[in-house]
Amino acid sequence: YEVLSPGCHLYPFNVTIRSDRRGTCRGTHVAFACVGYCESSAFPSRYSVLLASNFTHNVTSASRCCTISKDAKVKVRLDCPRGRRHDDIEILTARACRCDMCRKSRY
Amino acid sequence: RGMKGRGRNAATNLQRFTGCAVREFTFLAKKPGCSGLHITTDACWGRCETWEKPVLDPPFIESHQRVCTYNVTQLVTVQLPNCSASVDPAYTYAMALRCHCGMCVTSTTECITSG
Repeated sequence: YEVLSPGCHLYPFNVTIRSDRRGTCRGTHVAFACVGYCESSAFPSRYSVLLASNFTHNVTSASRCCTISKDAKVKVRLDCPRGRRHDDIEILTARACRCDMCRKSRY
Repeated sequence: RGMKGRGRNAATNLQRFTGCAVREFTFLAKKPGCSGLHITTDACWGRCETWEKPVLDPPFIESHQRVCTYNVTQLVTVQLPNCSASVDPAYTYAMALRCHCGMCVTSTTECITSG
């Protein structure tokens, strides 16, 4: 996994799910996150931006962030002691990644 | 308006560059009532680590979004040419002394993002 290179890539991690605090039933699954390095820059704002912000926004930042562009649900089976059963738990995993809009309102 | 690398090696290295650095930036400073002035200054450019990770609880996606932006800023004032008598020729812009991967602070920065 080329996590340290430019771009936005799938990155595996282990998810452990417990049925309760004591962890009576538990299951582990490998899910994927998106991790990477997308381009961003910051430069002096245009005069129209300066005017519109009452001369407070003197820097403009233009950015893209590594985001999950396609996801999927996967079922994780929980193993319980003494033959008990627990329903499967659905978790999300990334299927594809892309440098795209930074979605947080404040990023 | 644009960022410039220095020479062919710089251009090649920029394709692999991760991190956030001061970089030369040229733009046209202009305001109504004056002629424009081409200015070359220091701005910020790079690639910062960002990620999105599925989590079990709402909102089900945890994200980390730091972007390459000014860390230490110096305001520079220049005089624009050929201004009308009623217009102040002073034009102030932000020069980057240091850049970092950080939050885009909406109180001081116009934060724009595109797909």
